[in-house]
Amino acid sequence: MRVVTIPRYFDEKGLDAVAAGLQPWPPEGKLLFDAHATRWASPYGFTAMLAAGQALRERGAETPRLRVPDDQAVSSYWAKAGFFHHAAEFFELHGKVPRRAPVGSSDVLLPVTPIRQSEDVHQVVGGIQESAGRILTSELHLEAQTSMRFSMSLSEACQNVVEHAGGPGWVAVHAFNWKERLNRRVVVIAVCDSGIGFRASLEPTQARHHGDRWGDKAALEDALFHSVSRFPQPGRGQGLAAIKRFILKLNGWLSIRSGTARVAILPAEDSGPPLQDALPFFPGAQVQIVIPSTEVLPT
Amino acid sequence: MILKIRVDDLLRTTLATPSRDLVTRTTGAAIRSHIERAIADTPCPTTLLDFEEVGVLDFSCADEVVAKLLLVIEGEHYVVLHGVDETQAEAIDHVLTNQDLAIAIVPRTGGRQVLGRSTPDLISAFEAVHACGSGSAARLAEWLEWSVERAADALQTLALRRLILAANGTFSPLPLQ
Repeated sequence: MRVVTIPRYFDEKGLDAVAAGLQPWPPEGKLLFDAHATRWASPYGFTAMLAAGQALRERGAETPRLRVPDDQAVSSYWAKAGFFHHAAEFFELHGKVPRRAPVGSSDVLLPVTPIRQSEDVHQVVGGIQESAGRILTSELHLEAQTSMRFSMSLSEACQNVVEHAGGPGWVAVHAFNWKERLNRRVVVIAVCDSGIGFRASLEPTQARHHGDRWGDKAALEDALFHSVSRFPQPGRGQGLAAIKRFILKLNGWLSIRSGTARVAILPAEDSGPPLQDALPFFPGAQVQIVIPSTEVLPT
Repeated sequence: MILKIRVDDLLRTTLATPSRDLVTRTTGAAIRSHIERAIADTPCPTTLLDFEEVGVLDFSCADEVVAKLLLVIEGEHYVVLHGVDETQAEAIDHVLTNQDLAIAIVPRTGGRQVLGRSTPDLISAFEAVHACGSGSAARLAEWLEWSVERAADALQTLALRRLILAANGTFSPLPLQ
Protein backbone atom coordinates (compact mmCIF):
# COMPACT_ATOMS: atom_id res chain seq x y z
CA MET A 1 0.00 0.00 0.00
CA ARG A 2 1.31 3.45 -0.93
CA VAL A 3 1.27 6.01 1.82
CA VAL A 4 0.55 9.63 0.99
CA THR A 5 1.38 11.74 4.01
CA ILE A 6 -0.92 14.63 4.74
CA PRO A 7 1.28 17.45 6.06
CA ARG A 8 1.00 18.66 9.64
CA TYR A 9 -0.18 21.97 8.24
CA PHE A 10 -2.41 21.18 5.29
CA ASP A 11 -3.00 24.29 3.25
CA GLU A 12 -2.23 25.42 -0.28
CA LYS A 13 1.48 24.67 0.07
CA GLY A 14 0.72 21.34 1.70
CA LEU A 15 -1.23 20.27 -1.35
CA ASP A 16 1.98 20.26 -3.40
CA ALA A 17 3.41 17.65 -1.05
CA VAL A 18 0.24 15.56 -1.30
CA ALA A 19 0.29 15.86 -5.10
CA ALA A 20 3.93 14.74 -5.13
CA GLY A 21 2.87 11.62 -3.25
CA LEU A 22 0.34 10.81 -5.97
CA GLN A 23 2.87 10.72 -8.85
CA PRO A 24 2.85 9.30 -11.40
CA TRP A 25 -0.79 10.26 -11.88
CA PRO A 26 -3.03 8.35 -11.73
CA PRO A 27 -1.40 6.35 -8.96
CA GLU A 28 -1.68 2.57 -9.05
CA GLY A 29 -2.55 0.27 -6.20
CA LYS A 30 -4.17 0.93 -2.87
CA LEU A 31 -3.49 4.32 -1.32
CA LEU A 32 -3.42 5.42 2.28
CA PHE A 33 -3.78 9.12 2.95
CA ASP A 34 -2.18 9.42 6.33
CA ALA A 35 -3.36 12.41 8.34
CA HIS A 36 -2.65 10.94 11.77
CA ALA A 37 -0.13 13.68 12.59
CA THR A 38 -1.94 16.52 10.86
CA ARG A 39 -2.56 19.42 13.21
CA TRP A 40 -4.50 21.79 11.02
CA ALA A 41 -6.18 21.92 7.63
CA SER A 42 -7.44 24.93 5.78
CA PRO A 43 -10.66 24.91 3.73
CA TYR A 44 -8.34 24.50 0.76
CA GLY A 45 -6.94 21.32 2.27
CA PHE A 46 -10.41 19.89 2.93
CA THR A 47 -11.81 20.60 -0.50
CA ALA A 48 -8.64 19.53 -2.34
CA MET A 49 -8.64 16.23 -0.49
CA LEU A 50 -12.21 15.57 -1.59
CA ALA A 51 -11.27 16.48 -5.16
CA ALA A 52 -8.48 13.91 -4.99
CA GLY A 53 -10.92 11.28 -3.72
CA GLN A 54 -13.39 12.09 -6.47
CA ALA A 55 -10.68 12.02 -9.15
CA LEU A 56 -9.41 8.64 -7.98
CA ARG A 57 -12.91 7.20 -8.04
CA GLU A 58 -13.55 8.57 -11.53
CA ARG A 59 -10.41 6.82 -12.72
CA GLY A 60 -11.58 3.53 -11.28
CA ALA A 61 -9.00 3.44 -8.52
CA GLU A 62 -9.51 1.24 -5.50
CA THR A 63 -11.14 3.22 -2.70
CA PRO A 64 -8.26 4.81 -0.78
CA ARG A 65 -7.93 4.78 2.98
CA LEU A 66 -7.78 7.91 5.05
CA ARG A 67 -6.22 7.80 8.48
CA VAL A 68 -7.90 10.53 10.46
CA PRO A 69 -5.93 12.87 12.77
CA ASP A 70 -5.04 11.35 16.13
CA ASP A 71 -5.62 14.60 17.93
CA GLN A 72 -9.28 14.69 18.92
CA ALA A 73 -9.47 18.46 18.80
CA VAL A 74 -8.22 18.33 15.23
CA SER A 75 -10.60 15.59 14.13
CA SER A 76 -13.42 17.36 15.92
CA TYR A 77 -12.69 20.49 13.88
CA TRP A 78 -12.62 18.40 10.69
CA ALA A 79 -16.04 17.09 11.62
CA LYS A 80 -17.30 20.61 12.31
CA ALA A 81 -15.98 21.64 8.93
CA GLY A 82 -18.16 18.96 7.36
CA PHE A 83 -15.18 17.12 5.94
CA PHE A 84 -15.79 13.60 7.22
CA HIS A 85 -19.39 13.64 6.08
CA HIS A 86 -18.27 13.95 2.46
CA ALA A 87 -14.97 12.10 2.81
CA ALA A 88 -16.84 8.92 3.74
CA GLU A 89 -18.08 8.84 0.15
CA PHE A 90 -14.56 8.58 -1.29
CA PHE A 91 -12.34 7.16 1.46
CA GLU A 92 -12.34 4.30 3.91
CA LEU A 93 -11.99 6.27 7.11
CA HIS A 94 -9.66 4.77 9.68
CA GLY A 95 -9.20 6.04 13.21
CA LYS A 96 -11.56 7.74 15.59
CA VAL A 97 -14.06 9.74 13.59
CA PRO A 98 -16.34 11.95 15.69
CA ARG A 99 -19.78 10.37 15.30
CA ARG A 100 -21.71 13.55 15.12
CA ALA A 101 -20.59 16.96 14.10
CA PRO A 102 -20.55 19.20 17.20
CA VAL A 103 -22.47 22.44 17.20
CA GLY A 104 -21.15 24.62 14.39
CA SER A 105 -18.16 26.80 15.00
CA SER A 106 -18.36 30.49 14.28
CA ASP A 107 -15.08 30.12 12.39
CA VAL A 108 -16.67 27.74 9.89
CA LEU A 109 -18.71 30.16 7.82
CA LEU A 110 -19.53 27.49 5.31
CA PRO A 111 -18.84 23.81 5.93
CA VAL A 112 -17.63 21.71 3.03
CA THR A 113 -20.45 21.88 0.50
CA PRO A 114 -20.70 20.12 -2.85
CA ILE A 115 -21.17 22.19 -5.99
CA ARG A 116 -22.84 20.30 -8.81
CA GLN A 117 -25.34 22.69 -10.32
CA SER A 118 -26.53 26.25 -10.40
CA GLU A 119 -28.98 25.74 -7.51
CA ASP A 120 -26.08 24.77 -5.25
CA VAL A 121 -24.49 28.16 -5.88
CA HIS A 122 -27.73 29.86 -4.85
CA GLN A 123 -27.80 27.85 -1.63
CA VAL A 124 -24.19 28.71 -0.85
CA VAL A 125 -24.53 32.43 -1.55
CA GLY A 126 -27.87 32.73 0.24
CA GLY A 127 -26.75 30.75 3.27
CA ILE A 128 -23.54 32.57 4.07
CA GLN A 129 -24.39 36.24 3.72
CA GLU A 130 -25.37 37.01 7.28
CA SER A 131 -22.46 35.27 8.99
CA ALA A 132 -19.93 36.44 6.40
CA GLY A 133 -21.16 40.01 6.66
CA ARG A 134 -20.82 39.92 10.45
CA ILE A 135 -17.26 38.60 10.38
CA LEU A 136 -16.10 40.81 7.52
CA THR A 137 -17.26 43.95 9.25
CA SER A 138 -16.79 43.19 12.94
CA GLU A 139 -13.68 41.00 12.86
CA LEU A 140 -11.92 42.04 9.66
CA HIS A 141 -13.01 45.69 9.99
CA LEU A 142 -14.03 45.97 6.36
CA GLU A 143 -16.76 48.24 5.04
CA ALA A 144 -20.29 46.88 4.80
CA GLN A 145 -20.23 46.79 0.98
CA THR A 146 -17.46 44.20 1.16
CA SER A 147 -20.03 41.64 2.19
CA MET A 148 -21.84 41.92 -1.16
CA ARG A 149 -18.58 41.82 -3.13
CA PHE A 150 -17.55 38.80 -1.09
CA SER A 151 -20.79 37.03 -2.07
CA MET A 152 -20.26 37.96 -5.72
CA SER A 153 -16.74 36.52 -5.63
CA LEU A 154 -17.95 33.38 -3.91
CA SER A 155 -20.64 32.97 -6.53
CA GLU A 156 -18.22 33.41 -9.43
CA ALA A 157 -15.71 30.99 -7.93
CA CYS A 158 -18.40 28.34 -7.47
CA GLN A 159 -19.75 28.92 -10.96
CA ASN A 160 -16.39 28.00 -12.45
CA VAL A 161 -17.14 24.47 -11.29
CA VAL A 162 -20.60 24.42 -12.84
CA GLU A 163 -19.57 26.14 -16.07
CA HIS A 164 -16.12 24.78 -16.77
CA ALA A 165 -15.03 21.83 -14.64
CA GLY A 166 -17.24 19.22 -16.19
CA GLY A 167 -17.62 17.54 -12.82
CA PRO A 168 -18.45 18.21 -9.20
CA GLY A 169 -16.52 20.40 -6.83
CA TRP A 170 -16.55 21.54 -3.23
CA VAL A 171 -16.53 24.87 -1.50
CA ALA A 172 -15.73 25.80 2.09
CA VAL A 173 -15.30 29.13 3.85
CA HIS A 174 -13.52 29.60 7.16
CA ALA A 175 -12.28 32.48 9.26
CA PHE A 176 -9.04 32.11 11.20
CA ASN A 177 -5.92 33.90 12.38
CA TRP A 178 -3.27 33.39 9.72
CA LYS A 179 -0.17 34.24 11.70
CA GLU A 180 2.21 32.29 9.51
CA ARG A 181 1.70 34.19 6.26
CA LEU A 182 -0.12 37.45 6.85
CA ASN A 183 -0.24 37.91 10.62
CA ARG A 184 -3.87 38.90 10.23
CA ARG A 185 -7.29 37.40 10.76
CA VAL A 186 -8.59 36.23 7.40
CA VAL A 187 -11.64 34.80 5.71
CA VAL A 188 -10.70 32.09 3.24
CA ILE A 189 -12.83 30.75 0.42
CA ALA A 190 -11.64 27.50 -1.15
CA VAL A 191 -13.25 25.96 -4.21
CA CYS A 192 -11.73 22.76 -5.55
CA ASP A 193 -12.88 20.35 -8.21
CA SER A 194 -11.65 17.25 -9.92
CA GLY A 195 -12.75 18.33 -13.38
CA ILE A 196 -10.94 18.89 -16.62
CA GLY A 197 -8.83 21.82 -15.41
CA PHE A 198 -8.05 25.14 -17.10
CA ARG A 199 -5.75 23.70 -19.73
CA ALA A 200 -8.31 21.28 -21.17
CA SER A 201 -11.06 23.88 -20.87
CA LEU A 202 -9.17 26.47 -22.92
CA GLU A 203 -7.18 24.19 -25.22
CA PRO A 204 -9.61 24.13 -28.17
CA THR A 205 -9.53 27.92 -28.53
CA GLN A 206 -6.20 29.01 -27.03
CA ALA A 207 -3.55 26.35 -27.61
CA ARG A 208 -2.79 27.46 -31.15
CA HIS A 209 -2.05 31.00 -29.99
CA HIS A 210 0.70 29.73 -27.69
CA GLY A 211 2.30 26.99 -29.78
CA ASP A 212 5.01 25.20 -27.77
CA ARG A 213 4.36 27.40 -24.75
CA TRP A 214 0.90 25.95 -24.30
CA GLY A 215 0.36 24.25 -20.96
CA ASP A 216 -1.23 24.63 -17.55
CA LYS A 217 0.66 27.84 -16.78
CA ALA A 218 -0.29 29.51 -20.06
CA ALA A 219 -3.92 28.49 -19.57
CA LEU A 220 -4.02 29.95 -16.06
CA GLU A 221 -2.37 33.17 -17.23
CA ASP A 222 -4.92 33.48 -20.02
CA ALA A 223 -7.82 32.97 -17.62
CA LEU A 224 -6.64 35.17 -14.76
CA PHE A 225 -4.70 37.93 -16.48
CA HIS A 226 -6.45 38.14 -19.86
CA SER A 227 -10.01 37.09 -18.89
CA VAL A 228 -10.03 34.40 -21.56
CA SER A 229 -12.93 31.95 -21.53
CA ARG A 230 -13.63 28.88 -23.59
CA PHE A 231 -16.88 30.55 -24.63
CA PRO A 232 -16.55 33.10 -27.44
CA GLN A 233 -19.20 35.55 -26.21
CA PRO A 234 -17.77 38.93 -25.14
CA GLY A 235 -19.42 38.80 -21.72
CA ARG A 236 -17.58 35.66 -20.75
CA GLY A 237 -14.43 35.37 -18.68
CA GLN A 238 -15.41 38.19 -16.35
CA GLY A 239 -15.91 36.12 -13.20
CA LEU A 240 -12.23 35.70 -12.39
CA ALA A 241 -11.61 39.29 -13.41
CA ALA A 242 -14.18 40.38 -10.85
CA ILE A 243 -12.58 38.27 -8.13
CA LYS A 244 -9.18 39.68 -9.06
CA ARG A 245 -10.42 43.26 -8.70
CA PHE A 246 -12.02 42.46 -5.35
CA ILE A 247 -8.78 40.94 -4.10
CA LEU A 248 -6.60 43.77 -5.34
CA LYS A 249 -8.85 46.31 -3.65
CA LEU A 250 -8.54 44.53 -0.30
CA ASN A 251 -4.85 43.66 -0.62
CA GLY A 252 -5.99 40.04 -0.48
CA TRP A 253 -4.80 36.81 -1.98
CA LEU A 254 -6.06 34.84 -4.94
CA SER A 255 -4.41 31.68 -6.12
CA ILE A 256 -5.45 29.15 -8.72
CA ARG A 257 -3.76 25.81 -9.15
CA SER A 258 -4.57 23.56 -12.07
CA GLY A 259 -2.60 20.59 -13.33
CA THR A 260 1.05 21.45 -12.80
CA ALA A 261 0.87 25.22 -12.39
CA ARG A 262 -0.29 27.88 -9.99
CA VAL A 263 -0.88 31.57 -10.51
CA ALA A 264 -1.44 33.97 -7.69
CA ILE A 265 -2.20 37.55 -6.87
CA LEU A 266 -0.52 38.14 -3.58
CA PRO A 267 -0.75 40.83 -0.91
CA ALA A 268 1.92 43.49 -1.07
CA GLU A 269 3.70 42.16 1.99
CA ASP A 270 3.97 38.56 0.75
CA SER A 271 7.05 37.58 -1.19
CA GLY A 272 5.70 34.32 -2.59
CA PRO A 273 5.98 33.54 -6.31
CA PRO A 274 3.07 34.81 -8.46
CA LEU A 275 3.66 32.03 -11.01
CA GLN A 276 4.73 28.47 -10.43
CA ASP A 277 5.18 25.79 -13.05
CA ALA A 278 6.31 22.16 -13.07
CA LEU A 279 4.49 21.41 -9.83
CA PRO A 280 3.41 17.82 -9.21
CA PHE A 281 0.22 17.20 -11.21
CA PHE A 282 -3.07 17.45 -9.36
CA PRO A 283 -6.38 16.96 -11.17
CA GLY A 284 -8.99 19.67 -11.69
CA ALA A 285 -8.70 23.21 -10.42
CA GLN A 286 -8.18 24.61 -6.95
CA VAL A 287 -9.07 28.22 -6.15
CA GLN A 288 -8.26 30.03 -2.93
CA ILE A 289 -9.45 33.52 -2.06
CA VAL A 290 -8.06 35.12 1.09
CA ILE A 291 -9.60 38.28 2.51
CA PRO A 292 -7.42 39.79 5.23
CA SER A 293 -8.34 42.03 8.12
CA THR A 294 -7.29 45.63 7.85
CA GLU A 295 -5.51 45.17 11.19
CA VAL A 296 -2.54 42.98 12.07
CA LEU A 297 -2.91 40.51 14.92
CA PRO A 298 -1.84 41.74 18.33
CA THR A 299 1.58 40.47 19.42
CA MET B 1 -46.58 53.86 -20.60
CA ILE B 2 -44.08 51.75 -18.71
CA LEU B 3 -43.97 48.01 -18.21
CA LYS B 4 -42.74 47.46 -14.64
CA ILE B 5 -41.15 44.11 -13.83
CA ARG B 6 -40.06 43.24 -10.31
CA VAL B 7 -36.99 41.11 -10.72
CA ASP B 8 -37.45 39.56 -7.26
CA ASP B 9 -40.87 38.30 -8.42
CA LEU B 10 -39.22 36.64 -11.41
CA LEU B 11 -36.66 35.04 -9.09
CA ARG B 12 -39.48 33.60 -7.00
CA THR B 13 -41.16 32.05 -10.00
CA THR B 14 -37.94 30.85 -11.62
CA LEU B 15 -36.12 29.15 -8.74
CA ALA B 16 -37.20 25.98 -7.00
CA THR B 17 -35.97 27.34 -3.67
CA PRO B 18 -36.61 30.96 -2.69
CA SER B 19 -33.73 33.37 -3.17
CA ARG B 20 -33.25 37.13 -3.41
CA ASP B 21 -29.92 36.70 -5.12
CA LEU B 22 -29.47 37.06 -8.83
CA VAL B 23 -26.53 34.73 -9.30
CA THR B 24 -25.37 32.16 -11.88
CA ARG B 25 -25.69 32.21 -15.64
CA THR B 26 -28.42 29.60 -15.61
CA THR B 27 -30.64 31.74 -13.40
CA GLY B 28 -29.77 34.87 -15.35
CA ALA B 29 -30.68 33.27 -18.65
CA ALA B 30 -34.01 32.09 -17.25
CA ILE B 31 -34.82 35.54 -15.85
CA ARG B 32 -33.88 37.21 -19.14
CA SER B 33 -36.11 34.80 -21.00
CA HIS B 34 -39.09 35.88 -18.83
CA ILE B 35 -38.25 39.54 -19.45
CA GLU B 36 -37.93 39.05 -23.21
CA ARG B 37 -41.34 37.40 -23.34
CA ALA B 38 -42.91 40.21 -21.32
CA ILE B 39 -41.36 42.82 -23.59
CA ALA B 40 -42.55 40.98 -26.69
CA ASP B 41 -46.10 41.00 -25.32
CA THR B 42 -46.32 44.61 -24.17
CA PRO B 43 -47.40 47.68 -26.10
CA CYS B 44 -45.34 49.82 -23.69
CA PRO B 45 -42.24 51.34 -25.28
CA THR B 46 -40.29 51.31 -22.01
CA THR B 47 -39.60 48.52 -19.53
CA LEU B 48 -38.52 49.28 -15.99
CA LEU B 49 -36.72 46.44 -14.24
CA ASP B 50 -37.06 46.85 -10.49
CA PHE B 51 -34.00 45.62 -8.53
CA GLU B 52 -35.14 47.11 -5.21
CA GLU B 53 -35.61 43.71 -3.51
CA VAL B 54 -32.75 41.90 -5.23
CA GLY B 55 -29.77 40.94 -3.06
CA VAL B 56 -26.50 39.88 -4.62
CA LEU B 57 -26.05 40.37 -8.35
CA ASP B 58 -22.95 38.65 -9.66
CA PHE B 59 -21.13 39.46 -12.88
CA SER B 60 -22.37 36.40 -14.73
CA CYS B 61 -25.97 37.26 -13.98
CA ALA B 62 -25.42 40.94 -14.79
CA ASP B 63 -24.15 39.81 -18.17
CA GLU B 64 -27.04 37.40 -18.74
CA VAL B 65 -29.84 39.66 -17.54
CA VAL B 66 -28.74 43.15 -18.53
CA ALA B 67 -26.06 42.99 -21.24
CA LYS B 68 -27.65 40.20 -23.25
CA LEU B 69 -31.08 41.78 -22.90
CA LEU B 70 -29.80 45.00 -24.43
CA LEU B 71 -28.26 43.01 -27.27
CA VAL B 72 -31.46 41.15 -28.14
CA ILE B 73 -34.05 43.92 -27.82
CA GLU B 74 -35.30 44.95 -31.22
CA GLY B 75 -37.11 48.01 -32.46
CA GLU B 76 -37.96 51.10 -30.46
CA HIS B 77 -37.96 49.62 -26.97
CA TYR B 78 -36.18 51.10 -23.98
CA VAL B 79 -35.05 49.49 -20.73
CA VAL B 80 -34.40 51.28 -17.44
CA LEU B 81 -33.19 49.74 -14.18
CA HIS B 82 -34.65 50.89 -10.88
CA GLY B 83 -33.53 50.42 -7.28
CA VAL B 84 -30.00 49.33 -8.14
CA ASP B 85 -27.56 49.29 -5.22
CA GLU B 86 -23.90 50.25 -5.35
CA THR B 87 -22.41 46.78 -5.79
CA GLN B 88 -25.06 45.78 -8.33
CA ALA B 89 -24.22 48.95 -10.25
CA GLU B 90 -20.54 48.02 -10.23
CA ALA B 91 -21.27 44.64 -11.80
CA ILE B 92 -23.66 46.06 -14.39
CA ASP B 93 -21.30 48.89 -15.27
CA HIS B 94 -18.43 46.47 -15.78
CA VAL B 95 -20.24 44.01 -18.06
CA LEU B 96 -21.80 46.80 -20.12
CA THR B 97 -18.55 48.70 -20.54
CA ASN B 98 -16.85 45.53 -21.76
CA GLN B 99 -19.45 45.17 -24.49
CA ASP B 100 -19.78 48.83 -25.44
CA LEU B 101 -23.31 49.03 -24.05
CA ALA B 102 -25.01 51.47 -21.69
CA ILE B 103 -28.18 51.74 -19.65
CA ALA B 104 -29.97 54.33 -17.55
CA ILE B 105 -30.61 53.47 -13.93
CA VAL B 106 -32.25 54.91 -10.86
CA PRO B 107 -29.95 54.02 -7.97
CA ARG B 108 -31.46 52.73 -4.75
CA THR B 109 -30.33 55.97 -3.14
CA GLY B 110 -32.21 58.04 -5.72
CA GLY B 111 -31.23 60.25 -8.63
CA ARG B 112 -30.24 58.83 -12.02
CA GLN B 113 -27.11 57.44 -13.58
CA VAL B 114 -25.77 55.98 -16.78
CA LEU B 115 -23.92 52.67 -16.41
CA GLY B 116 -21.64 51.20 -19.05
CA ARG B 117 -19.84 52.88 -21.93
CA SER B 118 -20.12 56.64 -21.75
CA THR B 119 -18.12 59.84 -22.02
CA PRO B 120 -18.25 63.08 -20.07
CA ASP B 121 -20.18 64.67 -22.96
CA LEU B 122 -22.75 61.88 -22.94
CA ILE B 123 -23.23 62.17 -19.19
CA SER B 124 -23.60 65.95 -19.42
CA ALA B 125 -26.09 65.64 -22.25
CA PHE B 126 -28.04 62.90 -20.46
CA GLU B 127 -28.31 65.03 -17.34
CA ALA B 128 -29.24 68.09 -19.35
CA VAL B 129 -32.06 66.30 -21.19
CA HIS B 130 -33.48 65.25 -17.83
CA ALA B 131 -33.04 68.71 -16.36
CA CYS B 132 -34.47 70.78 -19.19
CA GLY B 133 -36.89 68.26 -20.69
CA SER B 134 -37.70 67.62 -24.32
CA GLY B 135 -36.09 69.72 -26.96
CA SER B 136 -33.81 69.98 -29.93
CA ALA B 137 -30.05 69.91 -30.23
CA ALA B 138 -30.11 73.69 -30.42
CA ARG B 139 -31.89 73.93 -27.07
CA LEU B 140 -29.44 71.55 -25.44
CA ALA B 141 -26.52 73.43 -26.95
CA GLU B 142 -27.81 76.64 -25.42
CA TRP B 143 -28.39 74.97 -22.05
CA LEU B 144 -24.89 73.49 -21.95
CA GLU B 145 -23.19 76.36 -23.78
CA TRP B 146 -21.94 73.92 -26.41
CA SER B 147 -21.88 74.16 -30.19
CA VAL B 148 -25.00 72.75 -31.85
CA GLU B 149 -22.82 70.11 -33.57
CA ARG B 150 -21.43 68.93 -30.26
CA ALA B 151 -24.90 68.77 -28.69
CA ALA B 152 -26.35 66.97 -31.72
CA ASP B 153 -23.54 64.44 -31.69
CA ALA B 154 -24.06 63.67 -27.99
CA LEU B 155 -27.84 63.43 -28.37
CA GLN B 156 -27.63 61.12 -31.34
CA THR B 157 -25.24 58.85 -29.49
CA LEU B 158 -27.55 58.81 -26.45
CA ALA B 159 -30.48 57.96 -28.71
CA LEU B 160 -28.55 55.18 -30.45
CA ARG B 161 -27.75 53.75 -27.04
CA ARG B 162 -31.43 54.06 -26.10
CA LEU B 163 -30.66 56.33 -23.18
CA ILE B 164 -33.07 59.01 -24.39
CA LEU B 165 -36.08 59.07 -26.69
CA ALA B 166 -35.68 60.59 -30.14
CA ALA B 167 -38.35 61.54 -32.67
CA ASN B 168 -38.37 64.06 -35.51
CA GLY B 169 -35.35 65.94 -34.28
CA THR B 170 -36.67 66.21 -30.74
CA PHE B 171 -35.06 64.46 -27.81
CA SER B 172 -36.85 63.52 -24.58
CA PRO B 173 -35.79 61.91 -21.33
CA LEU B 174 -36.71 58.29 -20.67
CA PRO B 175 -39.41 57.87 -18.02
CA LEU B 176 -37.39 56.73 -15.00
CA GLN B 177 -40.25 56.15 -12.57
